[in-house]
Amino acid sequence: MNKRVGIPGGLYFYKFYPLWESFFNELGMEAVTSIPSCRKILDDGVNASNDEACLPVKMYHGHVIHLKDRVDMLFIPRLTSISKNEYICPKIGGLPDMIRHAIKNLPPVIDVEINLRDKEKSILEAVYKIARISGISKNKAKSAYSKALSDYRAFREKVKRGVLPTDILEKKIYPLPSKRIDTYKVLLLGHQYNIYDAGMNMNIIKKLKNKGVEVVTIDMSSSGELREYASTLNKKMFWNFGTLAIGMINKCIRENNIDGIVYVMTFGCGIDSFVCSMAERRIRKFSEIPFTVITLDEHTGEAGVDTRIEAFTDMISWRRADENNFSAPG
Amino acid sequence: MKTDCYIGIDVGSVSTNIAVIDNKGNMLDKIYIRTEGQPIKALCSAMGKIEKNWSKSLYVQGVGTTGSGRQLASVILGADVVKNEITTHAIAAQKLVDGVQTILEIGGQDSKIILMRNGLVYDFAMNTVCAAGTGSFLDRQAARMGFSINDFGNLALKSSSPVRIAGRCAVFAESDMIHKQQAGHSAEDIVAGLCYALVRNYLNNLAKGKEIRETVVFQGGVAANGGIVKAFKKTLGTDIIIPEHYDVMGAYGAAVIACSQRKMKKTSFHGFGAVKKEYTAKGIKCEDCSNMCEVIEIASDGKVIARWGDRCGKWSDMRAV
Repeated sequence: MNKRVGIPGGLYFYKFYPLWESFFNELGMEAVTSIPSCRKILDDGVNASNDEACLPVKMYHGHVIHLKDRVDMLFIPRLTSISKNEYICPKIGGLPDMIRHAIKNLPPVIDVEINLRDKEKSILEAVYKIARISGISKNKAKSAYSKALSDYRAFREKVKRGVLPTDILEKKIYPLPSKRIDTYKVLLLGHQYNIYDAGMNMNIIKKLKNKGVEVVTIDMSSSGELREYASTLNKKMFWNFGTLAIGMINKCIRENNIDGIVYVMTFGCGIDSFVCSMAERRIRKFSEIPFTVITLDEHTGEAGVDTRIEAFTDMISWRRADENNFSAPG
Repeated sequence: MKTDCYIGIDVGSVSTNIAVIDNKGNMLDKIYIRTEGQPIKALCSAMGKIEKNWSKSLYVQGVGTTGSGRQLASVILGADVVKNEITTHAIAAQKLVDGVQTILEIGGQDSKIILMRNGLVYDFAMNTVCAAGTGSFLDRQAARMGFSINDFGNLALKSSSPVRIAGRCAVFAESDMIHKQQAGHSAEDIVAGLCYALVRNYLNNLAKGKEIRETVVFQGGVAANGGIVKAFKKTLGTDIIIPEHYDVMGAYGAAVIACSQRKMKKTSFHGFGAVKKEYTAKGIKCEDCSNMCEVIEIASDGKVIARWGDRCGKWSDMRAV
């Protein structure tokens, strides 16, 4: 029987799952993921993890707990850097250690380090390490990875054409309500694990879509283009997400085709605390684009999110009605 | 002859307010009562008061609900419009105060700032995860110090040298207040210090990076607190207008929207009789999947009239039982 490799459905899942799923399947293993984030996953995660951790890290703990007894091994890479000269959050770099200390009776964990800070080719070193752990030849691993990379690129192409990664991963589509003609385009900005995880953000994407909003995310632009847009900063951004986010903001300001920007952050996130503030200052200084922030934590009452989204879309439609000389609002 | 009217209802965390207006937007009647943790009871008693005041001489043409209990109120009364409280507050201020550009609103659990430009909502912000600096915190501190909330603001006005209170967090603010009180500061200086702390917190948190232009309007229940008003005036260095109906602005806005959206269609208002029924709300923890949604079920005279709170729609779609 094929070995089952568990890939928890949190954090960088929304960015990289298609890559790792294809890679492990090519190696002759079976990639398995956890159920979508939900109350049970969150409760388990909160109970297991360190109190100081942020919501997405707690959620990840819950996903690991859900998977650990269903798989032969877990894939929790140590992501130090996923792009040249940039880092990601240290909590994600320390993830395998946090998980090992918080959760007992884990199956073997593949925790290879992925550090592309110096050169992006370093990914192959990680691939060979995985091969060694799994008893697979270097050549087979290399060809599996190149197949995985081409599948991943196909996934990225679909996203760049405007398909939400969640729709691809969940193999379903949420069509826009067809009665509405006046759709607005709203940029949903934030870490992938905050904006796409419906169980964490109280289904923000669906809520926006129900208001007739077309949701755009940074993944729908190529990272090369966003880096280009971010290059006007006085100094290079330290974080991968920060560069892309600021690039996206600059792009929206330049192209002037977005009706609003919603920044989703989680309470206590160090990176968000300044990327959000930088983004807000830029938007206010160089544009008139409506902007709002939604801060997530362990709330389950949805009234707060509903009120903010409704008021935000009201504001957009009110402004548009004014431009077209309709009476407002409603 | 019956008077045509529109009713706006704002079911908030601390107070439940009703505004009754005519079709020109004139206030005919208003009610402000405390929700006291029981929104259905508060709603029914507030509506009962309106009915009593007018003894069947009102002809209700439309109903709008707002506030965190807007969905609940809508189910019980049959609302034509259900609107969020930012939009309703903005509409109300715009209608009642000429040239308003900044709205400061502090309610029970929420505080918000709304910027208006050319009569439109230009930008807004609400407090994030923490309710420090809102009405319910002031309530709690007044109760702890043994004052009625009505005297609390006036007490602050008597202070000549407000003490510095940590305003970032309600828990820190409370412990700071206790330290100052034990050190021998007078109650009025401590209360005045608290007012400044709340204003500082509000401006740093919500108004950060926002341009506060005159005319500035302050509304919501906390606008009754003279100490907070004074602290705002002094900190902002501008005049602050407290509209006559500052305490029911959300409800007023909801009524205005209901009025502006009246079409040929008849109102869905269930009538004043609706509030005389028995309502029960109960929580059901659905365990059919791992989401474990907390479903709310509202029943009237033993019959289920609405359910919500589920993600999948299984319970909320059953409302036509």
